[in-house]
Amino acid sequence: MKALDNKAVVAVAVVVMLFPVGYSLVASVFAGGGGNEPFLERPQGHDQCIRPTRYMRFHHMDLLKRLRDEVREGRRGDEGFDRCRECHTARERFCDRCHHAVNLELGCYQCHYYP
Amino acid sequence: MPQPYTVKPDSQFLRRVLDQGGADLKQCFQCATCSAVCELSRDGTPFPRKEMIWAQWGLKDRLLADPDVWLCYQCDDCSTHCPRGARPGDVLAAVRQEVIQEYAVPRFLGRWLSQPRYLPLALLVPVVLLGLAMLLRSPIEGALGISGRTSEKIIYAYSNLLPHWLLISFFGLFTVATVVAMVAGVRRFWGAMRAADPDGQALRPLWPSITAALKDIFLHSHFSRCTTEQGRSLAHLLVFYGFAALSLVAFWVVTAAINPLTPRFAYPFNFWSPWRMLANLGGLAVLAGCGLMIRDRVLRAARGGRSSYADWLLLGTVLAVVLTGLASEAAHYARWDPHRHVIYFIHLVCVFTLLMYLPYSKLAHLVYRATAMVYAIRTGRVRPAEDRGDGEPPAQSG
Repeated sequence: MKALDNKAVVAVAVVVMLFPVGYSLVASVFAGGGGNEPFLERPQGHDQCIRPTRYMRFHHMDLLKRLRDEVREGRRGDEGFDRCRECHTARERFCDRCHHAVNLELGCYQCHYYP
Repeated sequence: MPQPYTVKPDSQFLRRVLDQGGADLKQCFQCATCSAVCELSRDGTPFPRKEMIWAQWGLKDRLLADPDVWLCYQCDDCSTHCPRGARPGDVLAAVRQEVIQEYAVPRFLGRWLSQPRYLPLALLVPVVLLGLAMLLRSPIEGALGISGRTSEKIIYAYSNLLPHWLLISFFGLFTVATVVAMVAGVRRFWGAMRAADPDGQALRPLWPSITAALKDIFLHSHFSRCTTEQGRSLAHLLVFYGFAALSLVAFWVVTAAINPLTPRFAYPFNFWSPWRMLANLGGLAVLAGCGLMIRDRVLRAARGGRSSYADWLLLGTVLAVVLTGLASEAAHYARWDPHRHVIYFIHLVCVFTLLMYLPYSKLAHLVYRATAMVYAIRTGRVRPAEDRGDGEPPAQSG
């Protein structure tokens, strides 16, 4: 490995490493912020979810799966997608934004209807 | 009139050098073929012949104060040409390991990491410390009044168990401790080198020497002069820049709260975010470099070369960090609960082992070698120029 080849490797490494920095710089100047935090619409007229916000942030999937299982066992309560929709009227403006931001595929609506 | 010199051999030191990879040391009969074939050896202060006799005599103090030990990249040119099979390259590696342990503050940690039987204990420390941090998390959040507020911007299951503020303070605290320990070791090293060289020796200016040393490190200029082990510098470059990329991403995430470029920030990054792509590329570069290193070590072993426990411990830790990191990412995308939390915990233990034991493991070469390079340039042992074969006696006065 000659020093010249090293220089090529180093040049590639430096360019690759500077790319995200440049990207963030450009994004912060032109797109109003280099962060990827999703913008979530707060529902109008409600200030309380059916569970604490912190619980919902981390465990909404557990809750939904539990409700799903309860329906399968024949116990349908008043909690479900219908209840979610009262506040979060469009999933594109709520669920999808977080899931897109962190690149996690949303499998719920392959079967379930959420207008 | 020269003062009579009494040789004070340190048999313990000699024993450890023999045990840590320099087992063929006693074969050396001082023919100096090694110093003649070495691409990096200079006319004024050639090596490794003098290091071989110092090591044979157990002259610990001389080797501890010798920058030349750190100018060697173990490319095996000397070991390949040695007519006695004394393997000077392996001896210098063993001496470097011993230097790290001798300067380690506190010293017992250096001895721990040099012996396999202490490995379970060394790994237990980060497990216990991280476990304690997780247990104390709620009381601390309560006392500081930050409960429930800390993870508002983090959409991440891990942050339930190990929120970012906890990880940043935990690793920040131990990083400070590591830096303090490392500075203490380097000060002793520098003082020993100064004391061993003639009084009043002219030193080149500090900052140009540091710049020249950094240029050498970033380009691996001297490292790539090896002829026997040509692939080593590329493997090291991959690991070096892979970790540079990972450190940059870590820095970006840790400083996100005060970074004006990221006013709106959610973690984790999207898979196609430039930052995550950089982290993944960095991880893959380290993985590729480690693969090349393992291949080189297997080939070296076939030629009679030795890799010590310290060599494998560092390579194993680096591999463990990258593999658990990638596994953690994969488990997160697979939403493999609760295993992903366990994998992440193991990943953090590996990161702790790599970073916090830096002053005591082979990774300390990062600092000791850089220090020796700066010293060698300042004293004229090494000319900062890139050109090859321009060996010139060092400027000496007094």
